[in-house]
Amino acid sequence: MNLEDENIAIEVKDWALFYGKKKALNGISMSLPEKKVTAFIGPSGCGKSTLLRCFNRMNDLIDSVSVTGDMTLYGDDMYAKEMDVSLLRRRVGMVFQKPNPFPKSIYENVCYGLRLQGIRDKAMLDKEVQWALKGAGLWEEVKDRLDENALGMSGGQQQRLCIARAIAIRPEVLLLDEPTSALDPISTLAIEELIFELKKEFTILIVTHNMQQAARVSDYTAFMYMGDLIEYSDTDGLFTAPQQKRTEDYISGRYG
Amino acid sequence: MQNSESLKTKFGLGKVKAMLANLTFGRSIHYRNNVDRAWRYVISIGGIGVIVFVMLIMFFLMYVVVPLFAPATVSEKASYAIPGPADSPTLFYELDEYKETGIRVSQSGVVTGFNVQTGKVLFSAKLNFSGASITSFTQIEDSERLMAFGLSNGQVQIIKFGYTLTYPNDKRLVSVHLTYPFGKEGLEVSNSAIQHLAVRLDESELTLVMQDARSNSILVKKFEKTDSFMSDDVSLELSAEGSIEAPNNIKWLRLGGQGKNLYLITASGKTFFYNIANTEHIEPVQTVQLTNAAKNERITSVKFLLGSFSLMIGTNQGRVIQWFPVRGSDNLSRLQEIRHFDANSAIEGLNIEHNRKGFVSIDADQNFTLFYSTSERKMATVPLDSEANLIELSPRSDGALVEQKNGQIIFFDIENEYPEVSFYSLWDKVWYEGYDKPSYVWQSSSASADYEPKFSMVPLTFGTLKAALYSMLFAIPIAILAAIYTAFFMNKQSRAYIKPIIELIEALPTVILGFLAGLWLAPYMEAHLSGFFAIFFILPLGILLVGFGFSKLPDRLKLWVPMGARSLLMIPVVLFLGWLAMVLNNPLQEIFFHGDMRHWLTASAGIDFDQRNAMVIGFAMGFALIPTIFSVAEDALYNVPAYLVNGSLALGASGWQTIVGVVLPTASPGIFSAIMLGFGRGVGETMIVLMASGNTPLMDANLFEGMRTLAANLAVEMGEAELYSTHYRVLFLSGLLLFIFTFIFNSIAEVVRERMRKRYGSL
Repeated sequence: MNLEDENIAIEVKDWALFYGKKKALNGISMSLPEKKVTAFIGPSGCGKSTLLRCFNRMNDLIDSVSVTGDMTLYGDDMYAKEMDVSLLRRRVGMVFQKPNPFPKSIYENVCYGLRLQGIRDKAMLDKEVQWALKGAGLWEEVKDRLDENALGMSGGQQQRLCIARAIAIRPEVLLLDEPTSALDPISTLAIEELIFELKKEFTILIVTHNMQQAARVSDYTAFMYMGDLIEYSDTDGLFTAPQQKRTEDYISGRYG
Repeated sequence: MQNSESLKTKFGLGKVKAMLANLTFGRSIHYRNNVDRAWRYVISIGGIGVIVFVMLIMFFLMYVVVPLFAPATVSEKASYAIPGPADSPTLFYELDEYKETGIRVSQSGVVTGFNVQTGKVLFSAKLNFSGASITSFTQIEDSERLMAFGLSNGQVQIIKFGYTLTYPNDKRLVSVHLTYPFGKEGLEVSNSAIQHLAVRLDESELTLVMQDARSNSILVKKFEKTDSFMSDDVSLELSAEGSIEAPNNIKWLRLGGQGKNLYLITASGKTFFYNIANTEHIEPVQTVQLTNAAKNERITSVKFLLGSFSLMIGTNQGRVIQWFPVRGSDNLSRLQEIRHFDANSAIEGLNIEHNRKGFVSIDADQNFTLFYSTSERKMATVPLDSEANLIELSPRSDGALVEQKNGQIIFFDIENEYPEVSFYSLWDKVWYEGYDKPSYVWQSSSASADYEPKFSMVPLTFGTLKAALYSMLFAIPIAILAAIYTAFFMNKQSRAYIKPIIELIEALPTVILGFLAGLWLAPYMEAHLSGFFAIFFILPLGILLVGFGFSKLPDRLKLWVPMGARSLLMIPVVLFLGWLAMVLNNPLQEIFFHGDMRHWLTASAGIDFDQRNAMVIGFAMGFALIPTIFSVAEDALYNVPAYLVNGSLALGASGWQTIVGVVLPTASPGIFSAIMLGFGRGVGETMIVLMASGNTPLMDANLFEGMRTLAANLAVEMGEAELYSTHYRVLFLSGLLLFIFTFIFNSIAEVVRERMRKRYGSL
């Protein structure tokens, strides 16, 4: 695979993860290019979500998890002792499978991350909220009801609000963990179009069950199986001419 | 296909399918529907039953309370001609307590006994004053029916009018007999007719104040009582005397306040107040206008309320004004207008109830009106046939005898059981007899018969809220912080046993907590006050230091302690810090409070200190409230969805930021419920406050003074309240109040919770 033309955002080397004694990721090494969409596919339990959660250290929350290997974000060791987790998560944003807006107003949801960064200036917040909501393609729909509770929105709107919330703090990398699996086809389409727009600004890593979606939105695709990275290449190549038999089997529908 | 075939044979699914196909569904569905319906009824009955029972409790409380606010009912019982000599005006009537026999004493000295219900004359006698006539009279002792007569020959004669009950031929017979406690010969006090007379009798002394026809002075004479060796007779010996120059136009001469306060009252309202405690040196205290002189208001009648403390002044403008002496800042008592009552027209006469602080007026509009002083209530207004001369109330205030100017007597039955209470007397400041200003007082009973009961709900309500608030102040931070820790930071295994253990504290009988608080904690706290205050600093600081120190330990040492046991490590730390605070008590007292904080508080800071105080209650009841608040709040916090927490963390929030920014707002309905539940429990809690609060019905937010709560008051006084008395019903009223309190608090809590739930509902 040829990544020579790309700037590399995240570099993973010999990455392994254990749940207690059980090994969940098997020495994964890969380079993730900047301002591109990289999709992670694979059958359930293959470790793709686990790997994604490693990129913003959400796995730290689980007591029994231990990791080995190297992971760097633009050369900074993400698991270094002096790396502040909060700071890392500001640089690597995440959107979850189920839309999870806070039970606050739309405006406050988008502000949340900004306020955490200590931004108090109202004008600045207003500007950022507008920018983030526009970025998430939500501005036109909600600009007149920013003070309404976010829980009153539809599922697709909520998910786009979560994206707006994530991009408001200008992360370098945006992790999307099956962002459309809880949504209807029309909302899914809206999110996919949004991803296309967002990659101009952000490096996007997306985990998906839906191979068509991976084929539609991503530039690069990684296929994982049983904690191993089986194949990682540009999306067209992986879907049209897989190099591995297991990839071939998976994309032609023999697992999963 | 192959798979499902083998399943079918393995589990006999084919058979089940066949059974399902063959079932006669009709009957089974019918049966199921019946069961469904039956359960629906059972559950509805249960639910409605609960509501009905709660309503019944409420209605029962109301049923007991409502008579308190009902007006008096007065019904005419009998009407007859005035018994005895019609040509001589009546001096006074006396009634027995069964409303059976009455006595009429006329100006001419004729005593006529008569049946109150029929007017039939029972006997007649003439008071023998050896030729002298009655020129003045006064009642000495209300319950003893002791009367003093001033005579035209300058003598004073004291007579006791008694009733005796005999049962000749098994028939109850009430008869009247007269006794002369100080001998049949009158006291020679003057040599001319006695115009005005006031007498006060106590254990050892008889005080006479009089004005005679000739001299222009008021004479004060005190006699010492000496018991005769030979017989039961008591003789009087003059021990002290004095006099003052009489002001003009004195119409009433009254002796009140334990025989010390002499009031000389003129018809125009001008009144002279003397202190006659020392007869050698009679002090003028005050000259005061009792009526509105600008409106030319004149006095028509003067009576003491029961207890000879309050002067009731009836005026020609239809007012009855209550005055009594109030101690001023110079420690001198002066007459003070307390309140007034409005009758419809000019007052023509007043009389008092003999068992409580009520009174009755007769007015020019041919009415008589029942009033009650403390509660400022007008209990009933009753029309008469003609203008009245005199009115007399029966000893139990359940009957009134009215002598009319048309020569007829009307006897009324009165039902007036609960005049002592009004909305005003329950909730507003009342100026009670002997108090220097209107105040909120709860003092339901006393040994003295002429006592004015003080039923103010305010100190009890205040005490209830004080106890609840101080204990909440202690309980809320601990319970909520503990809930946050348990829900978020404690590992799951520890949580699994810590939570039930804390909830078990709730099952601890509060009587044990109260007992410990009252008998151990209160005296211990009094001795270690500085130490207890030091706890508030030492404990949090110490815990933070230990936590910080632990986090700095090398990992190798930390791993010695399993995650689940780390919170247990705090137990010895907390115990040690508590002990340290107690040890530091004395040094702290030495440094800050000259050696004794308790003494310093009262002496230097001027803060009153009771051993059983709000601080003890705060600790003890707070301890009882913690499990309630903790349990509900912890559930609410623990149930905040993990995806919200993750969402916040993923945005770069720290754990604490996540709790403050997302978890607490989301759990706020539950936390609010927890606090309201705790508050509800604090308001209703009885045993702890009963045993450790001192039960002093004070109105003071002072941390170092006790309180009396509604619930504790019920527990203390219900046993001693006479059935269906005013006191009894007022206690029920406080029960109703507690009921309403909890109802209101729970309703507010429910409304707020519902609104919050709507806000966070779609989570």
